[in-house]
Amino acid sequence: MEITTRTERDVTIVALAGHLDSNTSPEAQTALDAVLAGGGRKVVIDFRALDYISSAGLRVLLGTAKQLKQAGGALRLFGLNETVQEVFQISGFATILAVVDTEANALNGL
Amino acid sequence: MRQGFRLGIAAETRWDGADGVGAKFTEFAEARGLPAAIRRSMSVALDELLANTIAYGGAARIVVDVALYPDRLSVMLIDDGGPFDPFGQAPPPPPPGTALPLEERKIGGDGIQLVRKMMDDVRYERRSDRNVVVLTKRLKTEEG
Repeated sequence: MEITTRTERDVTIVALAGHLDSNTSPEAQTALDAVLAGGGRKVVIDFRALDYISSAGLRVLLGTAKQLKQAGGALRLFGLNETVQEVFQISGFATILAVVDTEANALNGL
Repeated sequence: MRQGFRLGIAAETRWDGADGVGAKFTEFAEARGLPAAIRRSMSVALDELLANTIAYGGAARIVVDVALYPDRLSVMLIDDGGPFDPFGQAPPPPPPGTALPLEERKIGGDGIQLVRKMMDDVRYERRSDRNVVVLTKRLKTEEG
């Protein structure tokens, strides 16, 4: 998987490309941990180039969301494809994580 | 007509092994022009079951048999671990903590629930010292 990170104002935008599954979740975990360790508290994850996510990936997202919430930060996700949305619906993540359609909406008011 | 491939992986190779299967499956699905939604759903299911078997199954070897028919995509996973039916547990009703707020959600497995919901059919049987799981996704045919 490819992970690219950039910052816009005080927001860190992490773009995930490929698949977020049991193989790649440690990599994603490391990248997100680094953002938090670096003081990032407002995080947006760009899912536009993410092909699919499995429960191993969901665990990474949940862990990050919890840590950010405890630290007084926020996490938003955007650009989920049909399959990723289906996984979010089934697992209930669609209701516990902030999912929006576009990057502009993710950044708006964060 | 059946098209497909069969792949054996050593369970102790862990994620590398599983990744090899995922990559080979994606390559196969794309070469055959399988709809992306079908390919992705099966990739999720494959990851869940392989991760499950590798983490808990006590198997030394897993064989993945992918078969594409005109009306369906079928993937058979055969492992030599102890008897274990991944679908044998009563489906968590509702899935654990699905309705709970973020703070109370457990970092746990929604994996098998995903497989049940995303596949059209899931089967398990114990067949001569092997666990055999068959996952099926139906394809839309020309005739509808």
